[in-house]
Amino acid sequence: MSVAELKERHLAATETLNNLKQRLNQTRRSLLDTDVAGYARSQGKNPVTFGPTDLVCCRTLQGHTGKVYSLDWTSEKNRIVSASQDGRLIVWNALTRQKIHAIKLPCSWVMTCAFSPTGQSIACGGLDNVCSIINLNSATDKDGNLPVTRMLSGHKGYISSCQYVPDEDTHLITGSGDQTCVLWDITTGLKTSVFGGEFQSGHTADVLSVSINGSNSRIFASGSCDATARLWDTRVASRAVRAFHGHERDVNSVKFFPDGNRFGTGSEDGTCRLFDIRTGHQLQVYSQKHSDNETHPVTSIAFSISGRLLFAGYTNGDCYVWDTLLAKVVLNLGSLQDSHESRITCLGLAADGSALCTGSWDTNLKIWAFGGHRRVI
Amino acid sequence: MMAISSPKGSGVGSPKAPTLPLPSPKAPPGYPDLYGKRREISRLHMLEREISFLEEELKSSEGFQPASRCCKEIDDFVMAKADPLLPTKKKKSRSSRFWKWLCCTPCSTLCSCLCCCCCCEPRCCDGCSKHLSLPSCSCCQHLRQCSCCKCVTPKSNCCRGSNSGCCKGSCGCQNCCIPPSCKCLSCCSCKCSCSCTCPTCPKLPQSCCCIKSCWSPCCCC
Repeated sequence: MSVAELKERHLAATETLNNLKQRLNQTRRSLLDTDVAGYARSQGKNPVTFGPTDLVCCRTLQGHTGKVYSLDWTSEKNRIVSASQDGRLIVWNALTRQKIHAIKLPCSWVMTCAFSPTGQSIACGGLDNVCSIINLNSATDKDGNLPVTRMLSGHKGYISSCQYVPDEDTHLITGSGDQTCVLWDITTGLKTSVFGGEFQSGHTADVLSVSINGSNSRIFASGSCDATARLWDTRVASRAVRAFHGHERDVNSVKFFPDGNRFGTGSEDGTCRLFDIRTGHQLQVYSQKHSDNETHPVTSIAFSISGRLLFAGYTNGDCYVWDTLLAKVVLNLGSLQDSHESRITCLGLAADGSALCTGSWDTNLKIWAFGGHRRVI
Repeated sequence: MMAISSPKGSGVGSPKAPTLPLPSPKAPPGYPDLYGKRREISRLHMLEREISFLEEELKSSEGFQPASRCCKEIDDFVMAKADPLLPTKKKKSRSSRFWKWLCCTPCSTLCSCLCCCCCCEPRCCDGCSKHLSLPSCSCCQHLRQCSCCKCVTPKSNCCRGSNSGCCKGSCGCQNCCIPPSCKCLSCCSCKCSCSCTCPTCPKLPQSCCCIKSCWSPCCCC
């Protein structure tokens, strides 16, 4: 076949592809008979209302000397690991604010960190293109630092995000600037599967975030600079299960909804969205202009344990608490006392859902919990 | 025949050597652009692959449920699950108490005048709000000291007790002493200006009064 013939076939295939996309979009539109807020209103749902002291800042964790980029809670709810531009990981006792470990990293450009399910190890990665594993029980070196016990090398771009597979200290998933996600076997240090990439159907730009389904750990979602989120099955690395379109700019953050059948996204376009994994429906858009009448990018999101609340951190320091059912902002943690003074970069909910931790460019982490009172039944 | 230019400084009066012809690069040979062809083939394969994925998705979309069913599932799930961060009526659970005690230490008995909206002593808030007719009080700045609060009206009610810790700038109390237990300077910055009478030190002269600290009713001058 000549190059000219190839180009003709290429054009024809592109037209077929566009037609199919149109037909699929039409089918989807016909099935979008309502959104979550419309349904909730039809059911007469009352919005969540917070009193002025209901969600308060209970703790401020001070110690980093640079911007905080990432945080993660342990499963047993009272320890947090944070990663900062100062080149350190700090493991905090969230109850007492004590620093249990302060780990100096060989590469200071760290972008992500995660606790293993047992809390014995931490994974972190960044601009060195390597995901490093640190065992918190290992002996310190002569400088008093915890050594890196395993380096997961192979990505051709920065590590933007990492998460351990639930209940498995030996496997984790990374997202990278090389447009791929990788499932790693930590024991061997080798890649088990590569999702996306040059010869596979996957993201066409940097992957910025990954989230593993808490109900089915074989399923994970990724968000990318290509403005899509994709759903993956770890048993089928050759292609994404589904691509989710809708955002107009980079998808900075993805998080699974607690029921495991939906996931949320936060984007550079200033909106959060809720997608259904089985049908691909975009079920809700969460969008509101800020007090300066501007739209600010969403940096990170988290759902409360019931899914009723969606926490979203923004580049202007706001942290909106969305009522997910009615798509209304019910509180702005950024306007409360003791709020962060700069961009919120990361959010995480404690394992039992009783507290939220936020990390910021102001070098602090803050813990927010319910400070009001409930009537006892 | 190629002309050879003589080297510099070869001598005065040496004959001028003929100059070289200007270079005239030839057009590249007409061999097939294999790299370009392979790239096109690869792109075509990827497109055909995407087409098959979309055809599969289109076929499976015939069985998709409408969005309203998904919304109902979400609604049912959310309403059925307890959430410690939601301000709703619910039975206190162990986990919701977990962060509650972190949030505040038990309110002191000074709740009579001070609004303590920390979650540990809800009756303090109720009593105070009735007393001061406030819809609500903002909570303590430093939750180690639930006695610190920001009352909106009237400021003189803030520091009625002698042990009250005053929040900085919030109460404007003139007669508040810095409690010895107060370690948080931003919380208790009121100066001590109490007067002493030394009633328990009859042997000491009246002039020897409490100077250094209002917590010592008698001290030596």
